[in-house]
Amino acid sequence: MTPEISIIGMLMGNLPSIIGIIIGGLCIAVGVHFVPVGGAPAAMAQATGIGTGTVQLAAGSGLTGLLAAGYMYMTLSAAGTPGISEIVLICATGAVGAMIMITVTMLVGNWVYIYGVGVPPASAKRDYDPITGDPQTPYVAAGTVGQGIPTVCFVSGAIGGLLGGLGGSLIYCMLMWVNGDPAISSIFAIGVFLVNAVLPSYNIQGTIEGFHDPKFKRLPKAILACFIASLLCGIIAVIIPSGAMLSGGA
Amino acid sequence: MSAGGPGGEAVTAETANQIDAKGIGIGLIGIYIAGISGIPYLAFLAGIGAIFATKMGADAVRRVCSYGIGTGVPSIGMLALGMGLISAMFGLAIGKMLGVVFIGPIVGLVLALVIGFVVGTLANKIIKLNIPVMERCLMEIAGAGVLVLTGLSVMIAGSMDFVVISKLVIETGYIAPVFILGALGILHPFNASLGPDETQDRTMVHALSCGAIAMVIGGVCSIAVIGPIAGIISTIIGLAIWYVTFMGFIKLVKRDAGAGYVGTGLLPPGAM
Amino acid sequence: MDPAMGMGLVALMGAAATVAGCSEDLESDIGSQSNPNSQVQLAAQVGYPHRIFNKAISGEPPSNAMYCAVGAGVAMVLMSESVMSASPLIAIAIGAFVAALLNGVFSTTSYLGRNASQTRFNQYVYLDVLRNQILSLMGHAYITTFCIVLISYVMWNQNLIGHPFPFPVIALIWGLCVGAIGSSTGDVHYGAEREFQDFKFGSGLNAADSGNITRFAEAGVRSSMDNAWFCSKFGGPVTGIAFGMVVFLDNWRSTAFSGWTAVVVGVVIVLVLVIYNRKVETYARKKYGPFPEYAGDIEA
Repeated sequence: MTPEISIIGMLMGNLPSIIGIIIGGLCIAVGVHFVPVGGAPAAMAQATGIGTGTVQLAAGSGLTGLLAAGYMYMTLSAAGTPGISEIVLICATGAVGAMIMITVTMLVGNWVYIYGVGVPPASAKRDYDPITGDPQTPYVAAGTVGQGIPTVCFVSGAIGGLLGGLGGSLIYCMLMWVNGDPAISSIFAIGVFLVNAVLPSYNIQGTIEGFHDPKFKRLPKAILACFIASLLCGIIAVIIPSGAMLSGGA
Repeated sequence: MSAGGPGGEAVTAETANQIDAKGIGIGLIGIYIAGISGIPYLAFLAGIGAIFATKMGADAVRRVCSYGIGTGVPSIGMLALGMGLISAMFGLAIGKMLGVVFIGPIVGLVLALVIGFVVGTLANKIIKLNIPVMERCLMEIAGAGVLVLTGLSVMIAGSMDFVVISKLVIETGYIAPVFILGALGILHPFNASLGPDETQDRTMVHALSCGAIAMVIGGVCSIAVIGPIAGIISTIIGLAIWYVTFMGFIKLVKRDAGAGYVGTGLLPPGAM
Repeated sequence: MDPAMGMGLVALMGAAATVAGCSEDLESDIGSQSNPNSQVQLAAQVGYPHRIFNKAISGEPPSNAMYCAVGAGVAMVLMSESVMSASPLIAIAIGAFVAALLNGVFSTTSYLGRNASQTRFNQYVYLDVLRNQILSLMGHAYITTFCIVLISYVMWNQNLIGHPFPFPVIALIWGLCVGAIGSSTGDVHYGAEREFQDFKFGSGLNAADSGNITRFAEAGVRSSMDNAWFCSKFGGPVTGIAFGMVVFLDNWRSTAFSGWTAVVVGVVIVLVLVIYNRKVETYARKKYGPFPEYAGDIEA
């Protein structure tokens, strides 16, 4: 047991990790704004986007990315503690894992809208799709605010998955730097992830279509809120060493 | 929520202060007896503390969600449990680092209250949710999260020492069921009783029964961690509490549903 | 590990995931969980009492994460040497059984609780509805949990894939993932089509019809069991495909390739999916055309 571990010293020594955790938290916050979620109305083909909650989807994709990143971290750390270039690779792996999860979900969601419900995907927030230029409003069913996941939402969702996976993996890597224990790091990364996914979802009040949605302009507020929240989480998380360190193992 | 209860303050019979006092008081006492005594057969007391903490969190969810927070009931609990998890582990670790193990749960609790307050303020002032009870409820839910997670971890490991908990509860992964059952224990009671005729005593009995389920599963996990006898004691006590509270819940459902509690039948008159 | 073995494991995981996704979606359709639940909940309030099962267990992802984490936790207890060193398959089966029991308890309390909270709208608590559906719910939850805990075991076991996260944490993450996928894909088939089947095909729910769910079947009052019958023809299987694809593609690229190649392969997969989605979108727009009720001046 080493009671002389100084808290200030740990904070200063782990400054890069705290900054990394904040950047990761901000990536998650921005990513949530990109993911097109229509909430409950979308499940009734009443609104554009994926028919589920923001947090659930962000967590589902980001944590899938975290699994890929955790595996990659283990593989790379066999040759010693990963440096910056390895971290970049790990984060890229996590980001791509999350992207795969979210694009597959959106694609199959579109199958259901098109083949199961019989509606063409259409956005109600713009008259024309900003990416393909297709007109949208004629394809919006009466009494609804759009349905399905048109191309612009699909691309936006892929970017959201990328940022979510990137943020989750970055937080995991930073925690691994500090305590070197995958169990503690993974469960903490989940905790930090959830905090940073819920706050932005309040900011968009549960639904958003993607980067073309007027609600996207509220982004700065979420960034500020998540900056403070991640700073707090980061400071706390880097102080917690692994059990092995405390018992004098490392 | 589109299908929320009555807007504004929820009707209460037992005040928030009473529930908080019981939750924090019994929660901490249970954790301390189980953690300091070092007798594994008393570990179940931490689980009982966790049950009352669950009730405190569930009541806070009930109050904040009667305002309609836009993204459904679950998100607020995930937020609070995320904060609770970090604070709980920080508390235990700092106790170990400073060499005074027993300050752990209190440090964790205080920290969770601080983070809950900060995040509640962020949600209200920066994101502009403007829910008057947000700060207080987030503090309560995060505090409940810390007590539930600490309580169940201490029950599984039979110790308050962070090194022991880290080795036996976190690295083995038993923290995962504890985390999610704690979250569901706090979220599920109100979510399962959503509707205008929701009553506080029914939701609270349900919270106790959800807490007992977490205790049962925690007890099963501790069979592999501290030993069969202590684990089985926790499991059986948890099952007994679950049975009593579940039956109490059914009784209150019968009371609240009144003539609508039927064995079978077609739709009510006028709806066919 | 020998590459053929690795690919075999990935294929096994993909297959198990497909089954898990399908049963997860059917479970939530029978119980009306997740977002379509809002309409079931609303129905009684707008004057349409019903005999549909109404449960909400804190959203689909957390509840599935709970079943899987508990299943994995119990399996791990049984497998540990200090308890009985059970063989993994038996341990996972018992773990999944415990998770199914929890599903039964949570479903019961949410059906009773939600309906009792709507007494003023003449929504009855039907005990036969509870008895008829609960075993089906538990059965589906068992299949889901078993498959996901199996996937997690394969990932975690040091002789197979050897993932560094603890076993229950992996199960928790996959449970969250399957819940998120189920509620965003298969549930739409239930919410937008089956719940409003007496409305014209080919559009989403008109906001004016909110809560007017289909309460009568071909003969008599509709029960939730019929919803599984309907959704098992499309919504369930595609959810299975979605989850199977996620598990398979993600593990395939990291097993077959390594380092930056795996990342590049992943990006290529994403691009292919974007292009394919565009194809499907244009197909639907051509096939269905604009809505005839549209009166604006934007050219379709």
